[in-house]
Amino acid sequence: MTTTTTILAELQDIFRQVFDDDAIELADSTTADDVDGWDSMMHINLIIAIEKRFRVKFAAAEIASLKADGQNVGGLARMVERKLGDPKATRP
Amino acid sequence: MLSIVPTPTETTVEAQDLIEDCLASGEDLSAAYPKVSLLLKELIHDERWDELAAILPRLIMPSIDYTTAGSLYRVMSRLGKHRALGKRTVKIAILGSSTTHQLAQFLELHLFAAGVSCEIHEADYGVFRQEIWDPDSELYRFRPDVLVLATSRRDLGGLPSLAEDRGAVESRMRTELAEWTKLWKTAHDRLNCQIIQNNFESPPWRTLGNHEGRHPASASRYVTMMNLALQDEAPPHVTIHDVDHLAASRGRWRWSDERYYYHAKLSCSPENLVDYAHSLASLVLARVGVVKKCLVLDLDNTLWGGVIGDDGLGGIRLGQGDPDGEAFVAFQRYVKQLRERGVLLAVCSKNTDAVAREVFLKHPEMVLRLDDISCFVANWDDKATNIGRIADRLNIGVDSLVFVDDNPAERSIVRRLRPAVAVPELPLDPAGYIAALDQHRYFQALGLTAEDLKRADYYKADAERQAAESSSQDLAGFLASLAMTARIEPISAANLERTVQLINRSNQFNLTTRRYAAAEIQGIVADPTWVTRVVSLSDRFGDHGLISVLIARIDETALVIDTWLMSCRVLKRGVEGFLLNHVVVIARGLGLQAVRGEYLPTAKNGLVRDHYQSLGFSPIDTDDSGRSTWTLSLHEGWSPAPTHIKETPHDDHHHDSR
Repeated sequence: MTTTTTILAELQDIFRQVFDDDAIELADSTTADDVDGWDSMMHINLIIAIEKRFRVKFAAAEIASLKADGQNVGGLARMVERKLGDPKATRP
Repeated sequence: MLSIVPTPTETTVEAQDLIEDCLASGEDLSAAYPKVSLLLKELIHDERWDELAAILPRLIMPSIDYTTAGSLYRVMSRLGKHRALGKRTVKIAILGSSTTHQLAQFLELHLFAAGVSCEIHEADYGVFRQEIWDPDSELYRFRPDVLVLATSRRDLGGLPSLAEDRGAVESRMRTELAEWTKLWKTAHDRLNCQIIQNNFESPPWRTLGNHEGRHPASASRYVTMMNLALQDEAPPHVTIHDVDHLAASRGRWRWSDERYYYHAKLSCSPENLVDYAHSLASLVLARVGVVKKCLVLDLDNTLWGGVIGDDGLGGIRLGQGDPDGEAFVAFQRYVKQLRERGVLLAVCSKNTDAVAREVFLKHPEMVLRLDDISCFVANWDDKATNIGRIADRLNIGVDSLVFVDDNPAERSIVRRLRPAVAVPELPLDPAGYIAALDQHRYFQALGLTAEDLKRADYYKADAERQAAESSSQDLAGFLASLAMTARIEPISAANLERTVQLINRSNQFNLTTRRYAAAEIQGIVADPTWVTRVVSLSDRFGDHGLISVLIARIDETALVIDTWLMSCRVLKRGVEGFLLNHVVVIARGLGLQAVRGEYLPTAKNGLVRDHYQSLGFSPIDTDDSGRSTWTLSLHEGWSPAPTHIKETPHDDHHHDSR
């Protein structure tokens, strides 16, 4: 069963690959400012890797919102969890 | 002398095994990548730069996914200064109105895989026109060798509105085209560099549904016409990069992902950027002359199914009636087309030479012939050694070879011992061979050579002929449109060889199938009681050469046709009637009263059973064997057959009109 915690662990794996940094430790409260090099281009790279790994799809507006001020990794994990529970939000 | 085969170190072997597993895992590297990633990190950590530099290019393929490509790019960056400089360094400027950052990275990655280093200048987002117009822009300080205009359909100055008529659409297109040609000219005048310009991809949606092609102002019709016009207008220093084809072959809905355009101004779905950059890299490589020249082919299970040494000529699978057999024929056709466009072919097979060659000589379904193969090596030596021999014999570098073999063990050994040779993965199913090879764009060229274009013109002529055939209201209209001219002359030393060849080869359009040797024909020509004529035909599509022979004996009152034959290439052109008209003139000139002919049936000449009847001859006799004799009286109101062939005078020194 996929819970927010296991999603967070998978996200950490993705972050480590995308940022090429095995020292990354994610928590619910981690924000873009806490991760070195999380700029707009790396954000795209993250989203693409997350979409591929979880077979989910973000809306254009969601992609932008995930890096907005006040957003954190916990919010990202919950959004993924929501999409995994909603067949319409996952890719065939 | 053979080139020296490098001895791999133990650690490289271990890494190579991992790479082989990874390549064998299929198209998607992402599943196998985590393991490979650990190895790459270990190499970086231990500063084993040479090994890293040897392994990394193997992993960079057009089919890898976006995230893996990004990781490989970062590994390449870590390699940085430690890597030997590429064979070439090329300066590339990328201008586009969309985000080109990822494209630039992947372009660098693919060039690195081919051994070429590059320095890239990217213009700020959306200012590519200003960069070109402004003589003081960064572009002109950078002075690129290659200028890439990474445009997309969004860079079209606007699509026609459905209210526009043909004229308005045409003038819109001319205006658009003029702007692009002006940009090319300005950049080229100031930089004198090669320009690679994307064409425009048709949108996947169709507001006019099925009828987009028919409506003069539809988006897809406009984009299609625009792309053709770009190709036609592009001077030699401009290469049109066919992004529309990339989109179509990927699937137009899959090509673009609007979310990433709206969010990040990516002109296509990120996953497609890797292949898009590969296509672009193949054009840059053609520009710097890093190209593949020769396709080295295994035989058993690569060009046909089965093993010729075990299964024999009748046992291998090749040709219609067997799914594998059809796939192998299709693959051979693809290879043959590469040959026709100038790619050298070589064979590298573990076989007895004579056994391997026999398939080429005797198997009726073989598309490739021995004379398509520039270097044929079939023996029991290892393939890495044989590949060195092939390169030596053809006098080309090992790095210009592509080796195609169905056997993973052979591929692996060649990859290890001949790292400069490109060795694509092949799927188990031969139906996938073409796609597996084609995706690598090994034989990309920057443009078409003069010969290519000439060849293209020839094919165009052929297409015109077919078009003429279908558009003709009737046969007469078609024949008139061919603008045929013919030369009629007696047999002479100049045409003897071809005449004798035709006499001894023609089976179908041959009334009597009498075979004569050259000496016999010379006897006939020297004998005043014989008349000979040969016909050479040309039309507006080309020269067919000597295509018909007629030999007749002068009887007391008639000209008796002994031999009448014609090449089947020019059937139904009215050559028969044209030649008869000429023969009648000769017979009349000799004061004869009739022309007689005979038909001797064979297994193959049923085509001309009614030949004399259709030309207006009257039957004299038919015997039990089917032999028939015919006569045409020259007294009665004979009128010449209508003809669409114009006679041209023959050479003066043959003007014996007998």
